[in-house]
Amino acid sequence: MSESPTSPPMLTDDFAPGEVNFMKVEDFNFFYGKKQALHGINLTIPSRKVTAFIGPSGCGKSTLLRNFNRMNELIPGTRHEGDITIHGTSIYDPSVEVIALRRRIGMVFQKSNPFPMSIYGNIVYPLRIAGERDRDVLDGAVERCLRSAALWEEVKDRLHESALSLSGGQMQRLCIARAIASRPEILLMDEPCSALDPIATAKVEELIIELRKDFTILIVTHNMHQASRVSDLTAFFYLGSLVEYDITQKIFTNPSSQQTEDYITGRFG
Amino acid sequence: MHTEPSRPHTLTNFTASLDHLRGSVLMMSSLTQRNLKNSIRGLMDRDDDWCNNSIADDEEIDLLEMQIDREGIDVMSRFQPVASDLREVISSIKIGANIERVADQAVNIARRARKINEHPEVPELHFLDELVKMAVSMFDDAVRSFAERNAHLAVELKARDKELDRLNRELTDKMIQRMQDDSANLPTYLNLIFVSRCLERIGDHAANMAEDVVFAVRAEDIRHLGK
Repeated sequence: MSESPTSPPMLTDDFAPGEVNFMKVEDFNFFYGKKQALHGINLTIPSRKVTAFIGPSGCGKSTLLRNFNRMNELIPGTRHEGDITIHGTSIYDPSVEVIALRRRIGMVFQKSNPFPMSIYGNIVYPLRIAGERDRDVLDGAVERCLRSAALWEEVKDRLHESALSLSGGQMQRLCIARAIASRPEILLMDEPCSALDPIATAKVEELIIELRKDFTILIVTHNMHQASRVSDLTAFFYLGSLVEYDITQKIFTNPSSQQTEDYITGRFG
Repeated sequence: MHTEPSRPHTLTNFTASLDHLRGSVLMMSSLTQRNLKNSIRGLMDRDDDWCNNSIADDEEIDLLEMQIDREGIDVMSRFQPVASDLREVISSIKIGANIERVADQAVNIARRARKINEHPEVPELHFLDELVKMAVSMFDDAVRSFAERNAHLAVELKARDKELDRLNRELTDKMIQRMQDDSANLPTYLNLIFVSRCLERIGDHAANMAEDVVFAVRAEDIRHLGK
């Protein structure tokens, strides 16, 4: 690869107007019991960019994603070595509260998971549990988030209907709207379009491109064309190791690693 | 740095479609090599039959050019190739267009040869020998560089094209001089200049093909360097 994984790959000021060293993964190992899932990962992620994690099943991309908001700690028997920092502060620092960390890092899952309540109720849920009670503030947040998620025009007249009445694509965009309600800095997306049809996928992809103006987005995807369409940077993982990390255009036109070439051209995986 | 595929695609249809596209380019190359040689034989042996064969067979090459475009579009729409596969498809389509232009030059040479054959033979015909040899070998090597994915050979062709340009200029100067000295054979000298120009254009197309081979193999764009 063209640069060490510890450095963002050849980012110019024009390419990275945000913070180049926004997030850092340093010598990171992760274990499920005795099984080591990640091996010595070093990665620097700039702010307000879309960074895609690609690789065959079991390569560790989702495992790494779930470490950014410490979700893996919910699984018994897991442990890590190394560090992940945001703005230079370790997410494992004793002063960091996990709940507060997860408020800064929204997450969208493979299968949309709207709560069994109204559309409105879904959006304001994270705000209410954070203590917000002001009706005007909540109303404003609902409109802001639904507009950001390109869903406002479709649901503005039925905000108090059940979220479960929405289509699959609308549910996923509702989950994205809910994820950004607490104004996180980072959005983690774990195969957000794998259950959607092509039109719904296109809407979510358009949304991702729009959201990167305000958020740093990390997306795990098995769809390499999706990675090439929406991401600025791509990291290729294989067997728990980071094989190549570079500007997406470079990865998909002229990768440096033979393994990356073979994977993205459909020769294994 | 560049990488090359180390194994076939998991999707065998993808590999088969790319192989078929490559096969079509090689088929088109082979027919064009034959046509070019027929045209030159018609010129040098003063035999219109070879010229007529070359002109008649050009249609098949035109059809192959369109077939290559269709196959390339088919691969892109069905398999969405990336990296080396994408470069291979793009280069194949561009190389197909250049081969078609070489075939057109072969037809032009055949037509000029028929005109030259209407007039008495002039010894200056053999001023073309070196140009013919170089243009034919450049096209053959451009095809070989594609067939063997030989970027090194392709890079060499760029330098050889400059030498062919020089030979063309030399021949043109000589023919202009001969036109002044021997106006009786002026149409033949003029046609020899046109043939020389065709051979020089074949060198240009061979160099273009070489650039596409380098792009396909090394992911490097060597066009417009050193100008």
